[in-house]
Amino acid sequence: MTWRALCVVAGWFIVSSAWTNAQAPAARNPLEGDATAIRSGMGLFRARCADCHGMDARGVRGPDITQIWASGRTDDGLFTTIKNGIAGTEMPAQPRLFEHETWQILAYLKTLAASTRSDPQRGNAENGKKVYQANCVGCHRVNGAGGRLGPDLSRIGAARSREVLELRIRGGVEGFLPGYEPVTVTPQSGTAVVGVKKNEDLFSVQIMDTRERIQGYDKASLKEMQDNPRSAMPPFGSNRISESELDDLIRYLQTLRGFDPSVIQ
Amino acid sequence: MVLIRRITRLALLLIVIGGTAILAAQQAPPALVTTQEISEGLPKDGSRWITFGGSYTNQRHSPLTQITPANVKGLVPQWTFQTGTLGNFETTPLFRDNILYVTGPQNVAWALDARTGRQIWRYRRELPSDLTACCGLVNRGFAMLGDKLFMVTLDAHLLALDMRTGTIVWDATLEQYKNGYASTIAPIVVKDKVIVGAAGGEFGIRGFIDAYDAQTGKRAWRFYTIPGPGEPGNETWAGDSWKTGGAGVWVTGAYDPDLNLLYYGIGNPGPDYHSESRLGDNLYAASLVALDADTGKIRWHYQFTPHDVHDWDSTEVPILADLTIAGQPRKVVMFANRNGFYYTLDRTNGRIIMAKPFVQTTWAREIGRDGRPVLEAGHTPDENGEITCPDITGGTNFWPPTFDPSTRTFFVNAREACMTFYSWKPDYKAGERFTGGAGQRYKSATMPVYGALRAIDPTTGERKWEFKYLNPSTSGLLTTASGLIFSGDNDGNVLALDSRKGTLLWRYQMGANLHGTSATTYMVDGRQHVLVPAGTTLTAWALPQGQ
Repeated sequence: MTWRALCVVAGWFIVSSAWTNAQAPAARNPLEGDATAIRSGMGLFRARCADCHGMDARGVRGPDITQIWASGRTDDGLFTTIKNGIAGTEMPAQPRLFEHETWQILAYLKTLAASTRSDPQRGNAENGKKVYQANCVGCHRVNGAGGRLGPDLSRIGAARSREVLELRIRGGVEGFLPGYEPVTVTPQSGTAVVGVKKNEDLFSVQIMDTRERIQGYDKASLKEMQDNPRSAMPPFGSNRISESELDDLIRYLQTLRGFDPSVIQ
Repeated sequence: MVLIRRITRLALLLIVIGGTAILAAQQAPPALVTTQEISEGLPKDGSRWITFGGSYTNQRHSPLTQITPANVKGLVPQWTFQTGTLGNFETTPLFRDNILYVTGPQNVAWALDARTGRQIWRYRRELPSDLTACCGLVNRGFAMLGDKLFMVTLDAHLLALDMRTGTIVWDATLEQYKNGYASTIAPIVVKDKVIVGAAGGEFGIRGFIDAYDAQTGKRAWRFYTIPGPGEPGNETWAGDSWKTGGAGVWVTGAYDPDLNLLYYGIGNPGPDYHSESRLGDNLYAASLVALDADTGKIRWHYQFTPHDVHDWDSTEVPILADLTIAGQPRKVVMFANRNGFYYTLDRTNGRIIMAKPFVQTTWAREIGRDGRPVLEAGHTPDENGEITCPDITGGTNFWPPTFDPSTRTFFVNAREACMTFYSWKPDYKAGERFTGGAGQRYKSATMPVYGALRAIDPTTGERKWEFKYLNPSTSGLLTTASGLIFSGDNDGNVLALDSRKGTLLWRYQMGANLHGTSATTYMVDGRQHVLVPAGTTLTAWALPQGQ
């Protein structure tokens, strides 16, 4: 790990106090429009951000970030997001990134920025929530409710582009997030246990099974351990979720931007 | 009569006391550590560990045989020491007269009772907040001579500490840390000098190896790893690029007392990835240099990666041995390089005896008869990226390999990994990172990522056996004359294997990985101990009492 995912996720939930250094970043990027900085920023972006956000910054596993300024983000807010990452997401902090390097990345990103939001806002989120409840809630969790076998989706709207969500639901993506690789273990005595891998080393594996029981196994005590090539999540073709239902579902997922677990007394 | 009896008793008592004192004196080593003791190293006496690689050869091969392949499963922990400090161990602890001398992260250091793991003294350096150390606030160990310990610091100083109290005896400045210099290397003592180097290859420094008088802290000589104007090799740097060419020295070298030569691996040229910023071979970056230990003058060099553009420091640990090759006795230096090739060189002149890849290498087909790599096209990074194997971290790196002379086997923890390298033109500013690029891990069906402990015949480069890890390991290695090799994986397991077959014999989950250093071994009260620094803990193992 982990230069994989640097850059920027919609960070409206980042509070300014997260900037832990003594000084706050400049309100505006001091390197904006600087040709040398843009060139360096391109290299930094490609090496450290593009794996998640795409070479064109239009999103792969991470979201499309060509519209972040159009969505109302500010230079200093984005600087803070890059520097500190976003807790609870795949967006890591970058403690070793120098201040000028962070500005270089943003200077380059600005050259890719769209002036207005181009993402079509189609679909009905209210209907989408119903589609979600009918098809997804058994394995996924949103705002503290739902299954645990699949990734928590409470922030999925800030973490994935529409295209990636669509591909995932339709079954067009077969990559596994760490902690969700499907596996079947068969103890010497007993039946096969199907689940997802939470951790593994040479000698042991820790899994969550389909009943959400978490358990570790000594590999030497197993009859067999088999990595499953296909995701535990079935593909949802148009026979299961229609095109309009898919629009609704994605619209609903796009509203999921974080979960505040604090208890108000 | 009574008087005579009393005198007789007193005489007997004095004899007993005297005898006990003599016995104690015989059991305890001399109070002062001598150069002869260091020079003799592990082969002469495996009961202690008094220099970085166990001996000047860096073989990390212990003659101890109490712990064997047959009984290693019986190892039990004796104690665990916790640093209470942020950051992880990369150190090789030294052991002498039942005391451990250990450096830790953030330039904290300790003397510990090796019987119990209890602290005797603790030293902590006040460090400035604007350090430039690139890759963790680490330290790789002490050297010792007389009644002093020697330790480098992250703000580029060399300290002599009183071995009994941990207080500073002298403090020598290597360079100004604000200009990008740091030091993390374990020093070695050669005769009356302490040998150290400076890190900062990612910060536009001009690297060097220094020797300091062990008594006074006065600098005896300096060897710049980048030749200045008028010196041979300066012409291998275009324009003024030599001034900021990096070539740091952050891993301990070897020493041959007969040839009086020091052998040190030199770090990457800077900026790390941007070719056009420093056209030329960029000597002595990514090289092994042989220096006269008295003067620091260079005798020969071998450059593993001319004009390196992948951050492949040659700061791996060189190992010396005398081998018979093709019927001829040869004095060799063995070197598994970050660039993916294993080398056996003649250490009298630096000429290649044998060189062969020990991991997947896509940047060079082979090492030619002239000693230069035969390059494959398309492996100069640019803004669009190019895929090369090995990756930035390399086929191996600074974690120490080991050599078993009885089976003539070189062991190394190897990494199979590839990377997309990017590069762009950087601007130099003193004290700021100066790399001109970065890399992103690349993985495919033909370029999987994994690690392996590999046993290599240094006369042919052939692999005798391997033990695969799920992930690349960054653990150093220790072998023993009983046929054991101690290693670690990246998931926190410390491992003992049969060094002749590669079969796993013992393991324990430490909760943190052995990183950049190896287990060491020594004797405490007649029992062989194995010491494992992992994460923020130091744990000593031994067979149960009476076994």
